[in-house]
Amino acid sequence: MLRNLSFARQILPVGALIGVAIAVWLILVGLPDRSTAAPAEQPPKAVGKLANGERVAGAGVVEPASEVIDIGSALSGLVTDVLVRPGDRVAKGQVLFLVDARAARASLDQANAAIGEARAAIAEASTAQKTAREQLALYRSLADPAAVSRSEVIRAEGEEAAATSRLGSARARLAAAQSAAAAARTEIERLTVRAPISGEILAVNVHPGEFVATQGGGGSNSPFIQMGETNPLHVRVDIDENEIGRVALGQPAVISPRGAAELHVNATFVRAEPQVVPKRSLTNSAAERVDVRVLQLIYALPPSEAFRVGQQIDAFIPAKAGAPAKTEG
Amino acid sequence: MLWIAIRMLTGDSQKFYGLLFGIAFSTLLITQQMTIFVNLVERGASGVYNAPEAEVWVMDPVSRTTDVSYAMPSTALDKVRSVPGVEWAVPHLRAQANVRTADGDLEGVAVIGVDDATLIGLPKRMATGDKNVLFAPDTVVIDDVGVTRLFSNGASPLGERLELNDQRAVIRGIADAIPSFTSTVVLYTRYSNALNFVPGTRNRLSFVLVGISPGQTAEGVAARIEKETGLKAETRKEFARAGVDFIIQNTGIPTNFGITVFLGFVVGVAIVGLTFSLFLRDNIKQFGALKAIGVTNSRIVQMVGVQAGLVGMIGYSLGVVGTVAFIKGFGSNPFFKGFYIPWQIPLISLAAVVVILAITGFIAIRSVLRTEPAAVFR
Repeated sequence: MLRNLSFARQILPVGALIGVAIAVWLILVGLPDRSTAAPAEQPPKAVGKLANGERVAGAGVVEPASEVIDIGSALSGLVTDVLVRPGDRVAKGQVLFLVDARAARASLDQANAAIGEARAAIAEASTAQKTAREQLALYRSLADPAAVSRSEVIRAEGEEAAATSRLGSARARLAAAQSAAAAARTEIERLTVRAPISGEILAVNVHPGEFVATQGGGGSNSPFIQMGETNPLHVRVDIDENEIGRVALGQPAVISPRGAAELHVNATFVRAEPQVVPKRSLTNSAAERVDVRVLQLIYALPPSEAFRVGQQIDAFIPAKAGAPAKTEG
Repeated sequence: MLWIAIRMLTGDSQKFYGLLFGIAFSTLLITQQMTIFVNLVERGASGVYNAPEAEVWVMDPVSRTTDVSYAMPSTALDKVRSVPGVEWAVPHLRAQANVRTADGDLEGVAVIGVDDATLIGLPKRMATGDKNVLFAPDTVVIDDVGVTRLFSNGASPLGERLELNDQRAVIRGIADAIPSFTSTVVLYTRYSNALNFVPGTRNRLSFVLVGISPGQTAEGVAARIEKETGLKAETRKEFARAGVDFIIQNTGIPTNFGITVFLGFVVGVAIVGLTFSLFLRDNIKQFGALKAIGVTNSRIVQMVGVQAGLVGMIGYSLGVVGTVAFIKGFGSNPFFKGFYIPWQIPLISLAAVVVILAITGFIAIRSVLRTEPAAVFR
């Protein structure tokens, strides 16, 4: 049998069949995987009845209910003390930081000294007036006109009048000194920066020794202190102007923070901003200028640890029932 | 009787191997060229296949492929998210940029910005490193073909610093991606980083990648997105097809490979036809003898059929094995990265082999059928 084994007639065909079988197997194994994969991390998505229903999506930023308040200073000067730290809760009127008040205190001391001086002058003038009046009364009580010379009476009258006017001028100086002291106290009070509302300190950008200019809080300078009422937190959601007509205002929205899309929070409607504004860049790219306009909707978040002021969020809002989908012309 | 036919065939080893060579050669030529052609034009769809999560791609109506796109305003993302049937939608940025390497060389790269939070849009697998490295600041992930182009000296690119639009970019991983048609270096980074890496124009969002809700079809959702947003939405399959069509319409590749495949066919017909005719003519006396002992014409047709079948089977097998060996052998070459043999192509070459043998067999057999038994004595 073995000697009859022919290369061309037996080995070659069998080899070819084996070869083609291996080739087929390799081809089938080597076919590329073109299937779609489920995302490894959850992207933001609409849930519940919004999942397959009419809805409007928007992106937004978390902000305090009072919006962020950039605290400014009424007067410029050196910061002597900062009394709050980021994260502190402060009551309305609580002192936030102090600006150098030495000059104002010196003027207060000056005014106080002037008050003392004026008071002394008043005492001196009223004594002199009293003496002059007594003398004048004495001269006038004399029955005999020859007992005292006429010139003596005139002198006594003049002394009384001079003492009276000295007293008036001293009183006026006292009033001036008192108002100067009040002005110095107001100055000192203005150099003490207080919380305008009760809320949470979000950022402190001043340190003792730094100079604060009165332009602080705007322009290129960072605000000295940022605070806001963080209970509750609000979100400001941007809705594309083309979708404005579809939004069901007043309905609660489903909010997910960026990076934690598995968290779905129901936020209650607060208000819609009356003005449609150009979309603010959320990407911090200076080069980004986008000409789309957006409607800003404000929603209140329930108490949650997941949100922080300034955080970006994705929002899904129910659309008006039966509102036709808009197409861009 | 059929065994006699096979003995007759293999008896003349010169012509037998000549026939095998002819069939094997044209099979190899047809299969291999078609394989390279299909893989090459599929490179046009590599961008689509490299984002395995996306079931629908949304783009500006004038965008054509992953590389020929026009950016949309950033609120397009929210518009797409508003469409029912869309389970999720994430931004996707694709742009060209110039990168300055540590040596100071300039190299054109494609920058792909994937979703910040979920990294949707990255290729399925990483060659080195973990996908999460992208969460580190200024990180880019380079594709494996890009490594060979940007770091030709074999040094590891991990930790290398690049300069993109005056920004620092650090390579922290290598993605296992299908190369693009032009084999450009591809840098994957997060969307917010990509905005800084690519010099800015007004609108930046190239694509919105969409996942569809359970129970929806990709086609239905794509149609609804188009209707409600006015943007163009294509399913993964359609968009891959658009990439392939773009290559076919804008390059000479189909003509080139078409000619080669046709030549393979012609060479097959010529060699096999000639050899087969010669072989049958040489054996005309044997056929005459068979006819003389009463073998019918149909029996002779069967014998020739068996001979052709054996030649075809062995030759075809050798050709296919050769192609597989070729593709596997060059698999490590970056040019052939991701090449595969579509299962349809061996069937097409099988059909071609059958046609070649049918044509040549038909031509060759006519003389045998006309043979008189008396031919034995001539």
